[in-house]
Amino acid sequence: MSSTDAATDVNAQAGSLWSKAPYPVLIADAHGAIVLVNEAAAALLPKACPGARMSDAVPEWLATAHTALRVPHQGDGSAIRSGPVDDRIFEGHPTVEDGGTVLWWLVDATDHLLAQEALRRERERTAFLGKASNLLLSSLNVDRCTHVTAQMAAEHLADAALVVAPARGDRLPLVTCLRGGAPVTSTPTVDPESVPGLAEALQGFPPVATRWVEPSTVPEWVLPEGFGQAGSIVVTPLPGYGVPAGALILLRRAGSAGFTPEEEVFARLFAARAGAAMAAARLYADQSAITDVLMRELLPPALHQVSGVDFAGGYRPSEDHERIGGDFYDVHPAITEGAPSLVVLGDVCGKGLEAAVLTGKIRNTLHALLPLADDHQRMLRLLNMALLNSHHTRFATLVLASAVREGSSVRMRVTSAGHPAPLIVRATGEVQEADTRGTLIGAMPDVHAETAELFLAPGETCVLYTDGFTEARGGPMGDALFGEERLRRVLSECAGLPAESIVERVQMVAAQWLGKGRHDDMAIVVVSAPRTHHLSAVNGRTRGRFTA
Amino acid sequence: MSTLPSSHLRLTAIDTETTVRIELRGDLDYDNADVLLEAVTDKLTAHPRLRDLHLGCAGLGAVDSTGLSILLMIRRRTDAAHVCLHLEDRTPALDRLLTITGSMEYLTALPADAAARESAGAKELRADTEE
Repeated sequence: MSSTDAATDVNAQAGSLWSKAPYPVLIADAHGAIVLVNEAAAALLPKACPGARMSDAVPEWLATAHTALRVPHQGDGSAIRSGPVDDRIFEGHPTVEDGGTVLWWLVDATDHLLAQEALRRERERTAFLGKASNLLLSSLNVDRCTHVTAQMAAEHLADAALVVAPARGDRLPLVTCLRGGAPVTSTPTVDPESVPGLAEALQGFPPVATRWVEPSTVPEWVLPEGFGQAGSIVVTPLPGYGVPAGALILLRRAGSAGFTPEEEVFARLFAARAGAAMAAARLYADQSAITDVLMRELLPPALHQVSGVDFAGGYRPSEDHERIGGDFYDVHPAITEGAPSLVVLGDVCGKGLEAAVLTGKIRNTLHALLPLADDHQRMLRLLNMALLNSHHTRFATLVLASAVREGSSVRMRVTSAGHPAPLIVRATGEVQEADTRGTLIGAMPDVHAETAELFLAPGETCVLYTDGFTEARGGPMGDALFGEERLRRVLSECAGLPAESIVERVQMVAAQWLGKGRHDDMAIVVVSAPRTHHLSAVNGRTRGRFTA
Repeated sequence: MSTLPSSHLRLTAIDTETTVRIELRGDLDYDNADVLLEAVTDKLTAHPRLRDLHLGCAGLGAVDSTGLSILLMIRRRTDAAHVCLHLEDRTPALDRLLTITGSMEYLTALPADAAARESAGAKELRADTEE
């Protein structure tokens, strides 16, 4: 024990205290020779004993740090170094004396560093989940949600990811994404049963756990093109709102690390968010598809010439989106040649979905009553009976107009049921009101109406409109009514114009009057006797017997 | 006398045993027509001996289709309760709306049983006022 004695000689009292210190302590002189090693340090570094050289006895990082400290201006006297000792990480805290002797405190930092690393990973994952949620919830588009899910999973969880949607028949909608690549959509005809756990995951309920899959058992279609050999595969369900949203398959290449339990939990957290977003998007898509189907039936038809009578229509819905109004129009061509076509234009009381439903009901009922189209009054009485309801007094006002070509003019019968009477624009520019009035439909036990007969010479027009035009507020001061007088003036200037031009002209003037103001629905239908020349050469009986 | 609150429609009601008069001020439209229906329904249930319901329309602003629908519903309710509905001091705009929609006669006519009551003479009327 002569070496220990020599150390005691250097500083006997201090040495005995150092030797008992709980942390490894090592003193080495300016030449790199070890002067003192306490018990803890000796246990940690078995080769270190007084007199030994640092470069022989301690790990390289510590020896290098010591050398650096001896050369002035090269090392920072107080900086902490760290490096591995066996399988742990130590920090070396140096205290430099004037003579160049350095006292090294060695502190085991393994757990601290592990905790720091875990915190960093956790922060990274939280940030990733936050980003995933933002991306997923910012869109209610199913395709986009699926693509984002596949892309993010491939980027952060695996080398490649597959999002599998519930099967459609015997086809399985897939979105595949390789790390760094773009998502690819396909719908191969494959059996979900061929991947262990996939069929269960696709059922969504009851929730099933993430499944490890033996790579050699998976079928070809699971491996994306150019992926190579799979090392590990995990199948995670994408839970929806009680409905299956799909499943997520994560793939790692052969040779790369498998999934740790932590990563598996994390994959499920991600899957829960992605599944919720995809289910919400799918529900939304279903709803908007239903709305589309219903709305298609409610949209006004495109109008054109029917049996030698010109029809044109225009509809400008209220911009107040919560208050979709109930203006509507239809043209029903005559069933038999030479019989009149029936035009219906109406306005349903109230707004929104209820008004839309009543509109649909009226249009359907009138369609069914078409065989009675000759008798407007009877049609209105039957419609009133069909709509009369003890729960509400929601009503409709409408105009029925039958129009048939007679020679070069058009004979019309118009009947108002509580609606502003149609206006007739003569070739001279004179505007007349059709002499018809009647009661509104759907709220009173008895209805009555008077029908007016009128003739349109070529170039003359009958205008059916809803009060969305006349009640429009706007003008220079922003609050004046458009009014019937102004409408008559505009129409008077339209004398002789084709039907479509009149619709456009009236809509344009009303739009200018409104400016940016709020307005109700505005619907207009124009029935015109075209300016034509009779073609005697084709006998006046077949299609195209008039020139426009 | 009570004032029923509403954002755009103000109702002022004066009640006696057999008559109720409600003054309407403001718009009778999609946003607040239901306030009037509620008020009238309450009066009809609160006064079982009600004979006449007067709606004072002088202060009425815009009346839209929902407002008219509510007037039709009120007429239906007053008929069922054997109460005469009187639309009084109608504005030209309201008259125009009732004329175009053909609802003037329906809303302003006396119900069949009330007409019979009036023609039955002053005797019964006197009996009413004595109560």
